[in-house]
Amino acid sequence: MTFPIYNYPKSQEVFKRAFKVIPSGIYGHQGPSEGCYIPHDAFPLFSSRAMGSHFWDLDGNDYIDYMCGYGPNVLGYRDPDVDDAALEQSKKEDCVTIPSSIMVDFAELLVDTVACADWAFFAKNGNDVTSLAVITARAATHRKKIVFFNSYYHGVSPWTQKLDYPGILEEEVCNNLYVNFNDYPALQKLFAEHKGEIAGLIAQPYMHGNFADNFFPDEGYWQKVRKLCDDHHVVLIIDDVRAGFRLDLAGSDHYFGFKADLICFCKALANGYNVSALCGNDSLKDVVSSLTYTGSYWMSAVPFAAGIACINKMKVLNTPKLFEKLGKDLTDGFVAAAKNNDFQLVVSGAPSLFYLRLADDDSLMLHQQWIAACVKRGIFLTSHHNHFINAALTHEDIKKSIEIAEDAFNALRHHSTSLSFNYHL
Amino acid sequence: MLTQTDSKTLAYVNLFAVLGTLENLCELVPEAKDLLKDKPPISIGFTVKHGPKATLFFVDSCCHIEEGCSPCTIKLPFSSCEKFNGLMTGTVTPIPSKGFTKISFLLKTFVPLTDMLAKYLKPSQEDLANVAFRETSTKLTLYTAASAIAQVGNQDQSGKFSSGLMPDGDIAIDVTDVMGITLKIKDHHLTALRKPCDKPRAAMTFSNLEIARQLLNGEASAMACICNGSIAMRGMINMIDNMNRILDRVGQYLSV
Ligand SMILES: Cc1ncc(COP(=O)(O)O)c(C=O)c1O
Repeated sequence: MTFPIYNYPKSQEVFKRAFKVIPSGIYGHQGPSEGCYIPHDAFPLFSSRAMGSHFWDLDGNDYIDYMCGYGPNVLGYRDPDVDDAALEQSKKEDCVTIPSSIMVDFAELLVDTVACADWAFFAKNGNDVTSLAVITARAATHRKKIVFFNSYYHGVSPWTQKLDYPGILEEEVCNNLYVNFNDYPALQKLFAEHKGEIAGLIAQPYMHGNFADNFFPDEGYWQKVRKLCDDHHVVLIIDDVRAGFRLDLAGSDHYFGFKADLICFCKALANGYNVSALCGNDSLKDVVSSLTYTGSYWMSAVPFAAGIACINKMKVLNTPKLFEKLGKDLTDGFVAAAKNNDFQLVVSGAPSLFYLRLADDDSLMLHQQWIAACVKRGIFLTSHHNHFINAALTHEDIKKSIEIAEDAFNALRHHSTSLSFNYHL
Repeated sequence: MLTQTDSKTLAYVNLFAVLGTLENLCELVPEAKDLLKDKPPISIGFTVKHGPKATLFFVDSCCHIEEGCSPCTIKLPFSSCEKFNGLMTGTVTPIPSKGFTKISFLLKTFVPLTDMLAKYLKPSQEDLANVAFRETSTKLTLYTAASAIAQVGNQDQSGKFSSGLMPDGDIAIDVTDVMGITLKIKDHHLTALRKPCDKPRAAMTFSNLEIARQLLNGEASAMACICNGSIAMRGMINMIDNMNRILDRVGQYLSV
């Protein structure tokens, strides 16, 4: 089956305007540079509407979306239950001088839902709560150092960036210690070398980094890390901003059988409404109370209403189980489509957050050609980042996605036997 | 982001990246070739205490640079990196420890060659108005910058942090239909080859020389150029990302 090839004249027109008045035109991960749009003109740049598991770009091209807004779309775009709850709340109030009591309802729901949570603190972005977690660890321990696992991503505040990033001072990252995930002896050594200096260890629940296969903790790894942190009085922070609620509604630490001291949520919390949360255990509640940390929109009521509806619906649907199945059906189909065309597609990470790599070429160029060919035929994938499943994804969507993937592999196969290098398949 | 540069890295940049670009000057600029015409083979060894050592060979109107300086006709020793860097800014006059009889080559050929190089690497607005000059200037700047990436990635604190995150493989730095440079990464050690790359793991391609010029002199940002397609990237983008972080740092050294 062959699919028509998309063009993006309207996106490109608007981008020219954007480039004049916005740095880079579109900055950050949703733009051509960090989003790795390779080649840059194979991807749509602006969307015009979204519904369920699809969005439509400015030129009217329809995509089955496997990036889900980089995570927030967990139930489907414009989910009626979440949107109704938000609309009802917005008729009453949103951003007011004192908070709405719905904030307490949301905190109670999180405490009931998340295994390690005795309290919840709300903000807007993932970065707000990963930063809060690190400040909390330092305030609690009166220590400076934070341990990171190589290829981490925890946001964009200076402490999350690196020595070689523009605008980031050495002094802002000189207390960061780096170690490889799953290398327990290296972590032990690091803790011994910096005895009494480490405030916290911050980690994603499993390695869902870019440009590399995603991988899980070894058997017993988290349990050993938990004990090491206890022995050294180090605060164990789980950054569940990306994986949260897609593996386990009780938290990804719960999924891997341990308890974090602090856990950060954002993306899947309210189906796209703007709220993030730090949850933690009782022993750190007063420490958080002592901090100076707040924001203009952090207590807006509408996202709380959306969050309550979202979590309740995820519970009813048992989304982690559903996503496991949908993700598996989809990626099994992709792998088979690759095989039919003599390619080897490697799928890694959790099925709900699957990562893809064509193993036939270690430069990723072939992979990027395939991804571009898929996007131009109507499935939105990225070449370097994990993907996301949402609950509105249908079996028809999956069937069509596999057909498109197959068509793209077929184009790649015919192309890769010719000598010229061209991303436009 | 470090706000200071260090003199040792600067010495490596000055020797291998800046003086190393005499190779390309002699190839691209006829006046440079003319200066070397009918001269017998000669080599100048630079040895910098606690710093780089390299030899420039001038043979058959061509120039090439090699690491180390045992077999050279003229030897220029420097007691420190600062002293060697002073040679580049004109505040230090070198005294050969070997090859006194060849001193006229230093004065009559080498100094004019380096002056010519400086004219292309730090061009005046008037010179840039000439299209041919501007193109050659950009090519030489790109060769210098690419080989400075290797030096900064191997020597500088921030550069070593970036190269420490780079996997093995070759990066192609190309200007479409004009030129190509190879940056090799092996065990986090970088080597720049002033020739196109056969089998890149990652590629950064400038659509034309003018874009390269604007990027290198800070008139344009790499991010913005990637967004509007005037610079294309493919392959292991994390390699290019780290290379560009080193390139940012190179700017601090080359503007010294
Ligand atoms: C693991 C992880 N942590 C933190 C963040 C930062 O979240 P935000 O972009 O909402 O600030 C992200 C965002 O992608 C993430 O994936």
